[in-house]
Amino acid sequence: MKLLWAVSALLLSCWRTDASTAPNIITEPHEVSNQTSAVLSCNLTDSSLPIKGSYWTLNGNILEDSVSADASPFTTRRLDKITHSNSGKYECVFKTEPQVKQMIEVKTLPHVVAYKHSEHGNENDKGVMVCVAHGHPLPTDWGWFKEEDSSRRQILNGTGDKYEIKSTPNKTILTINDLSIQDDIGDYTCLGTNELGPGSDEIHLRVRSRLAALWPFLGIVAEVIILVTIIFIYEKRRKPDEVNDDDDSGSAPLKSNSTANHKDKNVRQRNSN
Amino acid sequence: MTKVKSNSESRSEDVEGPDGGWGWVLLAALFVSTSLVFGLMRSLGVFFVEFVQYFEESSQAVSWISSTGLAAQQFFSPLGAALCNAYNARLVVMTGGFLAGLGLILASQATCLAHLYLTMGVISGLGWGLVFTPMVATVMANFTRRRTLALGLAFSSIGLSSFAFNPLFQLLVEMYTWRGALLILGGLSFNIVACGALIRPKKRSEAPAKVDPDSRSSCVAQLQRVSSYLELSLLCERPYITYTLAISLLNAGYFVPYFHLVAHSRQAGFSEYQAAFVMSAAGATDILGRVVSGWFADLRHFRLIHLLSFWTALAGVFIMLLPVSSLSGSYVALVAISLLYGFCSGALTSLAFAVVPLIVGVERMMGALGLLQLIESGAGLLGTPLSGLLKDITGNYMASFMVVGSFPILGTLTMATLPHFFSCTDSPPPQRRSLDDKDKGLNSELEQMNSLPSDTSSRIAE
Repeated sequence: MKLLWAVSALLLSCWRTDASTAPNIITEPHEVSNQTSAVLSCNLTDSSLPIKGSYWTLNGNILEDSVSADASPFTTRRLDKITHSNSGKYECVFKTEPQVKQMIEVKTLPHVVAYKHSEHGNENDKGVMVCVAHGHPLPTDWGWFKEEDSSRRQILNGTGDKYEIKSTPNKTILTINDLSIQDDIGDYTCLGTNELGPGSDEIHLRVRSRLAALWPFLGIVAEVIILVTIIFIYEKRRKPDEVNDDDDSGSAPLKSNSTANHKDKNVRQRNSN
Repeated sequence: MTKVKSNSESRSEDVEGPDGGWGWVLLAALFVSTSLVFGLMRSLGVFFVEFVQYFEESSQAVSWISSTGLAAQQFFSPLGAALCNAYNARLVVMTGGFLAGLGLILASQATCLAHLYLTMGVISGLGWGLVFTPMVATVMANFTRRRTLALGLAFSSIGLSSFAFNPLFQLLVEMYTWRGALLILGGLSFNIVACGALIRPKKRSEAPAKVDPDSRSSCVAQLQRVSSYLELSLLCERPYITYTLAISLLNAGYFVPYFHLVAHSRQAGFSEYQAAFVMSAAGATDILGRVVSGWFADLRHFRLIHLLSFWTALAGVFIMLLPVSSLSGSYVALVAISLLYGFCSGALTSLAFAVVPLIVGVERMMGALGLLQLIESGAGLLGTPLSGLLKDITGNYMASFMVVGSFPILGTLTMATLPHFFSCTDSPPPQRRSLDDKDKGLNSELEQMNSLPSDTSSRIAE
């Protein structure tokens, strides 16, 4: 029993000594959530190691403008406007041997954007609507709603064969099978929710009738038929004149000079007699 | 004597073309049908994006559709020419327009990529082949003095219509999906039928009947007739072969820069927009070049063949200068050379067809054009892959542009071996070896540069 106590005390003291010589980074604040701006700071304390410099990374990518060769144990990063593009996991890294770093999470509401705000689908075909999310953390929960009059109706996955929802943290796809013009035209909302709250966007779905292109096509065909008819009729009206000209030039052997061709018909007939 | 003369005069009107009046109407018809054939072909890129997405095929597989269409159009050109010789041009063009529209309408119902190859590629390509050569030959037959200007104006439609069709097709696809858009395009292609209806059937009393009067067996007679319709006898004539070879060499090179100019500009270090602007600038001067060269050629200061050699040589030189100009890194130099290149390549297109009747005569022009299209298309297939290969091997476009630029220059040198190239006046086209030699003799004399007044020609006829 006493042996056990001694061993545990020894272990505890070892751990305490480790803790006392390991570098400790104090971050301020620990976490940023739902703020419009912030100043992140890291303070490296309890370290006797030489500091060659420091830099910040965001989601693993080094931020070039934060690299400094300053040997100061205190480094800050200023975020004037926090949006989905600069949210994520920030790490302050001190160039020591070995490197030490600490992470600060900057969280925002999800920024949900639709690929296309106006989607088209064909009648009896399928319609696909896609929303993507940016920011950190990515939505854990996706929902699709159809706007009806004043309320919105949730679309549930697998209600019959009509609706299919496939979601990943950064993308959600709603597929509507067998589109119908009466029921499926309208506005759809995709809603992505993370721990801070929701973000949403709207898509307008238009359903084209199968025969929509038929009317312009028939119109153009009708126009072509009319044109061709007009051309043929115009030619038939002119044709009698041409036929006469050809006959005269071929069958009149006694023409005296070429100008006879250009005089009127009476003269020609007299000559051929 | 006088009968002969009056006959010759009336036939001269058939052969030489009135140069006005109905000719302008036919020119408008050629304008519309060329834009519906080539302008449409060049603007199909919008659909290819949709096809890749819908059929989930690679873009290379999808691009075969347009290659098939173009190949079919050029392959069936002699067929179109032969049918015109056998029947009349109006029937052939109207059938061609109908087939082109039909192909697109059937394509709108396609369920797999093979359907598209068959419909948009083969059927529409056949239709286009039946349309283009006959219409060009008909317009050329209707103009003499202003032939090149007419051709230049008509071919400028290609550039203009590809400008207009690209956004239009995008809009159609947006509103009606690609199926509906193809259906509407099929309807638009039916307008070619209306253009074909404008061709007045000519009274060709003796022209195509080069059949042996004592037809031994129907088989041999049929073959003889077919070969006469296709004008295969042209393949034995040195001037025609020389000219075809020259045009094939030209075709192998002169439009390759249009494919590679953007990539080359990007590689030279310019931005996407700058590269795209270089392309557009070349395209714009192409249109301008066609019209200006057509107008200038008809002023008759120089022989057509000399002008064509001039533009071809210049085009080759400018193609070679393209990589050199971007070597120095100067954007202005690249744009300037591209503008000049575009102008020259447009200029030579107007002339390339117009020279043909001077070599083979107006009567055989139809078949000659068909064969020319077929042969030059083979060479055209060579140019782009060759330059791509050179670029892959050497890593930049210098070698490929140099080689490709040498093709038009070789073509110019080949053209210099044409008979009577170095004389100052056009030689008369060769006489047809047919029964009516007397009339053909008259025709060839009348084919001389129209500086000869009519009474001189009548003295020759006597």
